[in-house]
Amino acid sequence: MKRYFKILGLLSLIGVTVSCNKYLQKTPQDAYLISSSSYLNNASDYQTMEVSVYTPLQWLNQLVPIGDIASDNAASGGESASDVLDLQQIDDYTTTPVNGTLSNLWQYAYEGVNRANYLTQYKASNPAGQTVSFAGKEAMYGEVYFLRAYYYFTLVKMFGDVPLFTDKRLDISATNSLKRTAKSSVYLSIENDLNAAINVLPNTQSQAGRATKYAAQSLLGKVYLYQQKYDSAAIVLQSVINANAFSLVNNFASIFLLAGQNGPESVFEIQYSSNGANSYDGADPSQGPGNYQVQQCGIRNLSSSSSLMPYAPGWSTNLPTQNLASAYSAGDQRKAATCLDIAAYVAANPAWNITYEVAPYKNTGLYNQKYLPYIGQGATSGGDPKLNYPNNYRTIRYADVLLMAAEAYNKSATPNDTKAQLYLNQVRRRAFQVNDASHDITSTGASLYTAILNERRLELAMEGERFFDLVRTGQAATVLAPLFKVGKNEVFPIPQQEILVSGLTQNPGY
Amino acid sequence: MKFKNRIWLIVTFLFGIILSLNAQSINVEGKVTKKPGGEPLVGASIMIKGTKIATSTDPLGNYKITLPKKGQTLIASYIGMSAVEKQIKAGGTENFQLEDAGASLTDVIVIGYGTQKVTNVSGAISTVKSSDIEKSSPVRVEEAIQGKASGVTVIQSGSPGVKPTLFVRGIPSFSGSDPLVVVDGSVQTLDDFNSINPADVESINILKDAATTAIYGISGGNGVIVITTKSGRKNQKTQFSLSSSYGTQSIAKEIGVLNATEYAAILNEGSTTAGGSVIFPNLSTVGVGTNWQDQIFQQAPIQTHSLSASGGTDKMTYFLSGGYTDQKGILGGTKFNKSDYSRGNFTANLSFQLTNKLKFIVNATEVLLNSKGVQEGNWNGIIGEALNFDPTVSVNNTVPNTIGTYGFSNLILQEVHNPLTEMQNTYNSNLGNKQYGKFELQYDVVKNVKVTTRFGYTNFIDNVRSFSPLIFYGLNNIDNSLNADGSTVTGKHNSVSSTRDNYFNYNWESFANYDFKLKKGHHFETVLGMGLGKSSQNHLGASKQDVPFNSWTFASLQSATGSNTSANTQANSGYYWESFTKSLSYFARANYDYENRYLASFSVRRDGSSEFSDAKKYGDFYAGSIGWIISKEKFFDSKFIDFLKIRASYGSVGSSNGASLQTSSIITGGTYNNIGNSNGYYFNGVFYPGSSIGSQINPNQLGWETDAQINAGFDISILKSKVSLSADYYQKNVNNLLFTGTQALFIGTVPPPLANIGSTKTTGLDLMITYKDKITKNFNINTAVTFTTSNSLVTATNFDNSAKITGGGYYNGQSQTITVFQKGQSPGYFYGYKTDGLFQNATQIAAAAIQTGAQPGDIKYKDVNGDGVIDSKDETKIGNPFPKFVLGWNLGFEYKNIDFTAFIYASYGNDIYRAYERNSNYSNKFRNILARWTGAGSTNNANDPRYSFTDPNDNARVSDRYVEDGSFIKIKNLQLGYTLPKSVTKNAFTKVRFYLAVKNALTLTKYSGFDPEISGGIMNSGVDLGTYPQARVYTFGLDLKF
Repeated sequence: MKRYFKILGLLSLIGVTVSCNKYLQKTPQDAYLISSSSYLNNASDYQTMEVSVYTPLQWLNQLVPIGDIASDNAASGGESASDVLDLQQIDDYTTTPVNGTLSNLWQYAYEGVNRANYLTQYKASNPAGQTVSFAGKEAMYGEVYFLRAYYYFTLVKMFGDVPLFTDKRLDISATNSLKRTAKSSVYLSIENDLNAAINVLPNTQSQAGRATKYAAQSLLGKVYLYQQKYDSAAIVLQSVINANAFSLVNNFASIFLLAGQNGPESVFEIQYSSNGANSYDGADPSQGPGNYQVQQCGIRNLSSSSSLMPYAPGWSTNLPTQNLASAYSAGDQRKAATCLDIAAYVAANPAWNITYEVAPYKNTGLYNQKYLPYIGQGATSGGDPKLNYPNNYRTIRYADVLLMAAEAYNKSATPNDTKAQLYLNQVRRRAFQVNDASHDITSTGASLYTAILNERRLELAMEGERFFDLVRTGQAATVLAPLFKVGKNEVFPIPQQEILVSGLTQNPGY
Repeated sequence: MKFKNRIWLIVTFLFGIILSLNAQSINVEGKVTKKPGGEPLVGASIMIKGTKIATSTDPLGNYKITLPKKGQTLIASYIGMSAVEKQIKAGGTENFQLEDAGASLTDVIVIGYGTQKVTNVSGAISTVKSSDIEKSSPVRVEEAIQGKASGVTVIQSGSPGVKPTLFVRGIPSFSGSDPLVVVDGSVQTLDDFNSINPADVESINILKDAATTAIYGISGGNGVIVITTKSGRKNQKTQFSLSSSYGTQSIAKEIGVLNATEYAAILNEGSTTAGGSVIFPNLSTVGVGTNWQDQIFQQAPIQTHSLSASGGTDKMTYFLSGGYTDQKGILGGTKFNKSDYSRGNFTANLSFQLTNKLKFIVNATEVLLNSKGVQEGNWNGIIGEALNFDPTVSVNNTVPNTIGTYGFSNLILQEVHNPLTEMQNTYNSNLGNKQYGKFELQYDVVKNVKVTTRFGYTNFIDNVRSFSPLIFYGLNNIDNSLNADGSTVTGKHNSVSSTRDNYFNYNWESFANYDFKLKKGHHFETVLGMGLGKSSQNHLGASKQDVPFNSWTFASLQSATGSNTSANTQANSGYYWESFTKSLSYFARANYDYENRYLASFSVRRDGSSEFSDAKKYGDFYAGSIGWIISKEKFFDSKFIDFLKIRASYGSVGSSNGASLQTSSIITGGTYNNIGNSNGYYFNGVFYPGSSIGSQINPNQLGWETDAQINAGFDISILKSKVSLSADYYQKNVNNLLFTGTQALFIGTVPPPLANIGSTKTTGLDLMITYKDKITKNFNINTAVTFTTSNSLVTATNFDNSAKITGGGYYNGQSQTITVFQKGQSPGYFYGYKTDGLFQNATQIAAAAIQTGAQPGDIKYKDVNGDGVIDSKDETKIGNPFPKFVLGWNLGFEYKNIDFTAFIYASYGNDIYRAYERNSNYSNKFRNILARWTGAGSTNNANDPRYSFTDPNDNARVSDRYVEDGSFIKIKNLQLGYTLPKSVTKNAFTKVRFYLAVKNALTLTKYSGFDPEISGGIMNSGVDLGTYPQARVYTFGLDLKF
């Protein structure tokens, strides 16, 4: 009998010995995971992480349609009043704090901020406390500063006062620790970041898509304009113009073709792609590397017997208004390059047997020509082809720089309307494809200012600028009457979750 | 120590037995039968008291035994029945009649690492016996628990084989409410109930308070369900048992939707009100159309069969069983064969007496699980589509030159499809294979000292294959992957995916039990032990595009032809991951009683887990209880009260609720957040991979949830034990709740980590009253009522106690948050706007608080904070998904050979949020829209606002408009049985019983959806997304014993 007892005793003893120390130990390596403490050890780690600071730019794709749908440029469209509800609310000015699209934009922009912060947090030394030096580190941080400025600019122009933090990546313990920071302080931080970026960024980058010094200067010019700091804007924008690094493309429509991406007029573009792995595959279409808005803009059930008809079908959202189309003068090449009149297009190409479904809701007869889907350009791999178009957002074009410069000069403490006219008319001559003064604006002062703002609408329509331009220039109440409520609609509501969970205050009226 | 003396005593005692063998012996024989009924008990044990001499009855219930001397006492016993003792003064015939034990006072129940006499338990335990299980012929074991054990709430799902929501004494924790399941001593989870054959279960004990669960430490926080499976008995002739049933299931209720003409008229109204055109110019031609619910629900069969053999010899016992259950779903189970749950069980429970002192037990079960399922529980699941799809569409496709078997809508061109097309194109199969059981050695060191070592294991491999075919949904449907002519839409692929999930866990526990008496009347039962556990899992999956012929037959990775190209890198892909957790425990317990009158128990457990950092690796848990059996006191002399015990307990248990290691934030490359999205960027059109932080460190290191529980109760039986009552009041305070808090959106897209934040307090009352009586010679009544309340309150949340943790989803056509976990409220309560009738005219709108977009006929919302504006600050509590109480009532009659059982289950005070409406312009509407506001004075019911395609007032926002009272009374089970008299069965069978049963015979409820029983987790309980309704089942069954 004793032997059984011994065996049992022995087994238990082994159990106890084995267990005490090692048995319960577990590290991330046991799950084959790389932990932050073992990362940022070399240049490649830093550079790889910096790539990801760009990623959330792609996720902000709904900002562009919102910039026009909230304005007089576009209607939300869609299948019915209950389709794309988030955009319908924005179009109808019935937006509530529970708006998935707005709350996503808020969260994605902050993810960008946090990613940038993580790199600045560990710039001097990595999490292990070591300094990692490598060639190009400073210039790389220029991009990080630029991106953080871009994300904060997105936030401040959409929501007004927003929580500001630049010291570190936040974790959950920060949930209830922040209040909204005054808009002016956020702008100050943006300016600091952009100035820091300008100091270290190269004039050109070998990889198209990376931020350059000119991109940072142009963005800074825009940030100044949003604060009515016209003198500063004029200076910084002038330095972009003086660089002679950009030129206006003669054929306006060609800018928005695939071949026109990252062209001579491109100051900064958000890069999208339809090829390669990691395409959107079902969870949140706005978080993919392809441009989701393109499919949204398409004409419903468009088909043709001819392979010459280039457009792919889509979902008829973000429809340009007749009001926009009629704002163009005869001979302005931008009208056709901005608004596709589908009925006219069908009539002009009778041999192609084009069929389509009239936009079922808020039909304007017009479609967003700048970002229309083209057959065969959707994702060729991974994700859903129609949700991953490769169309880059032409975020800052040289024409925008010229118009901003014109505005800055016109509104400077000591206005320089000659320069303002010069830059404005450069844009107009390209629009009318003339080399003479036949379409030039010659007015000055307030009337010139109105002309510049009007030109911004025509030039940048359907590029997401209009609503924010109307608000910052104080025209929104007049142009968007009667829907626009002064004191409320200048900004969108803070997402409800931030009110509930973070205890932020809501914007007035929401 | 007096230990040595004790051994001497034992030795002396054993010698005494041997010496006594020399006395004169007598022979006794007789029959053991069941009372009432007189049915012979096969394999009943007859033992001479105080000896090891025993025999058992033959197939006719007869026994023979030789007594060494006169005056000895015979004990006749049988599992589940009260033993009967008789002193034998002379040889001859001695018959025994045994009665069903019920809550008999001599019963022993299984507790953690030991057993205890029921009367001596001072904690809170509910018991369900095999006889109760048989009467409800359940598919899953939980069905048998529902309403039969007080303190336990079970919310069943209608979907075949799907795990119901089950919680013991409320939902105090955020991250999980599943109690621990211990099957024959081996640790399992509630999920494993899918593989236990209810016919194999001998008893289910539910340990509810800290006194009984603290011995399970961290796993005991949500209660413990201890399952004992059947086993054979020594010296028992083989007994076979066969039970078989066959039933038909059908839907009990449909939801009222509009017929085609009503639908067309409403669409016209909605469109024209919104300034649009008339959609159906001629209503007279529309007709009634199709009710899609009629199309998707069919009658479906259900069958269960099980056969077992049990018995034993002097040295070994065995219980062998095989079972088969097949439940087709009423949703597409027969016509489409898309919903099915079938299970095959094979069990061998064997024990071997290797030597006098060493016993070896092996329990082994093999389970095959085979299932198919359809998408449910959302507005674009099949049920949701049946409710929301265009009723003007004909069942079959009649449009020339289009493929597709079933009709399609010309209005609804996205998201909501013909449910039959969806069903037809649903392809999946799930083949699970599970082995579980234990190996156990028991060694009797000396009398009353037993050492046990036990290795329990569960191994589960789940193979899933699913196929996403190319589908034509209808002309102009934007979800098409096939064109009308059958050609593939450019860029679309079908795909097949196969996954294999493997879960393996083991627990190796060794413990010693030592029972002893000190002086007179002081009795101790002690246990001391330790355990090691590991649970690991790995997951392997692959998918491939381009399945030949777009056919399920060829849907396998083998025949699919997709291969990756530079342009399509997803044609062929795969993944693998694995993880494990380990635990280490030490535990001890002492149960004490003084002359079976004064009771006390103390237990302690120290648990360690690999999931916590060094500082918080171990948790210590203690519990103690005391009891007093007043009825045993000398001064207590009552003819009325037979038994009275009062008891109280206090203790702490813990929970690690699936916590996973987060001692370091993790760098994520490639896809981000596991949603298949990019973490890189394109420069020059070339993809550059990126990396970023993909998880967060816990700001405070993770530790255990601690759960302090108080329990006070009493047990009383009166009127010769005809009536007994067991009542318990409890309070549970859970601190350091482990959950994933809601974080500010400005923290970004990195998911929040698990943390110890928040606490809850739950109080409640468990009652069980039983009454059994023999009214006349042939008529027995047996009834039991259980009553369970639990009232949970969140006492702290998140880091600063102020945050609201929200839950929600895409409900009623909008992305909404509905449930909130917040300090001062019950967990997961419904949160939204309160309605206050409808605006009848513009004057009322002008007079009311500012409500943007409101027009006459729109819902008026309450200005809760009184600031004159209706905005998100006016959202408030609009309902509570958890019942105020649940009640189960079992009623049984026996008249001669006829038996009748009824089981009624009621839930009171639970609210339901109706969220299955798609609410898009062209989706179908529900019949209540016919009562909508059509002009000033037409109605003021906030549930019936005007109908328009545009909704500037956002009438669909989260409000009490969608909250309904989900209280119900269900006649869950009615069973009428007939046992053939012995004159018919003769010697061929010991028992033959037929029965007819109806499940879910009747539901009384005000709820307008399919079924007010809606299972779900804490943050989506009571949210009805088009839940799979429980079927009404008519069953015919047969039980044979021979």
